[in-house]
Amino acid sequence: MQTETTPAQADVSELELVRRCQAGETEAFDQLVTRYRTRVFAMIYNMVHNEQDAWDLAQDSFVKAWKSIGRFRGKSSFYTWIYRIVMNVTIDWLRKRQVKAGGAEFDDAIQLKEIDPASKTVPKADPLPHQRMEQREIRARIDHAISQLSPEHRAVILMKEIEEMQYHEIAESLGCSIGTVMSRLFYARKKLQHSLRDVYENV
Amino acid sequence: MKTFEEKWTAWLDGQLSDKELTEFEASLPDLAAAEAEKRDALRLGAFLKEQLAAQALSNEEFFSHQVHERIARDAQDRHRSTSTWWTIPRLVWSGATALALFVITTVVLMSQHPAGEQSEYLTQILNSRVDPAANPNATISIFESKNDNKVTVLWTEGLQTLPADYAAK
Repeated sequence: MQTETTPAQADVSELELVRRCQAGETEAFDQLVTRYRTRVFAMIYNMVHNEQDAWDLAQDSFVKAWKSIGRFRGKSSFYTWIYRIVMNVTIDWLRKRQVKAGGAEFDDAIQLKEIDPASKTVPKADPLPHQRMEQREIRARIDHAISQLSPEHRAVILMKEIEEMQYHEIAESLGCSIGTVMSRLFYARKKLQHSLRDVYENV
Repeated sequence: MKTFEEKWTAWLDGQLSDKELTEFEASLPDLAAAEAEKRDALRLGAFLKEQLAAQALSNEEFFSHQVHERIARDAQDRHRSTSTWWTIPRLVWSGATALALFVITTVVLMSQHPAGEQSEYLTQILNSRVDPAANPNATISIFESKNDNKVTVLWTEGLQTLPADYAAK
């Protein structure tokens, strides 16, 4: 898993922050939010493919975390613990949305932003318009392929491939066994290989 | 006992022990094809990692501010709900107390209320005794009509007349 400080430093300060949160210090919780907001948001965004929804779900996750921080016993890392909340909130939201859509997958969630018209003032470091367009097409293909997976399969593949989490950490976050995680990974990878092979072979 | 899917995933992620690795690779019908599949899966992983780079959170400070606001609002709501007199536990207790008072009052009033004429009359009959010397074959039975529960029938057999003290008061 990615860490910004050494694990020992992170653990000590994190536990200290959690302890202060449990004592009711919202300033300590602000620090935890600052530490994890980008990763939490990115994880949710990769699952729901919509910035506004990802924003709202990330907000809900942090508010829920604050409300239940008194129950955090430090048996797992805070990161794994908050990921469990994030996953519950997001998977629950995806399921409800799927029910509302009549059980069908929701490809309409993929929002291709308007491609900027070619500009003469584009800095040299920026990708050219056609490169940007190509990049967006690739992203759209990935988002579409991921949207075809069940919420649970999305969660395991993103946690493993993007967050580089260990099996046991994924299992803790999703509240399932390591065997289930491995099995879900197997099927999620197979499905993505099938739907994205032509993309990643040509990139 | 690991399933094939679990072993495959562990093999792909390099999580098998030496012994498990040897056994698993020996069990594969086509190791070369499996190796190619593994390379493909690893390529997919690298591709996803590269393409799904962390989506930037626009306006991070506003995000934190909003979380802070929601927490503060929630705390205020909770404080308001606990500071009002009519909290849910209090409402429950008030309801239970009122119900208990009602039951007690009803029981007391009912115990003080005189019994109905009919029941008093029937009780009187049941408490009476038929003199076997005067009426050796006398029997008295009481039952309710099946068709109409409001009617109680007094059935006497072997009596010439109804004893005077059987009369209702």
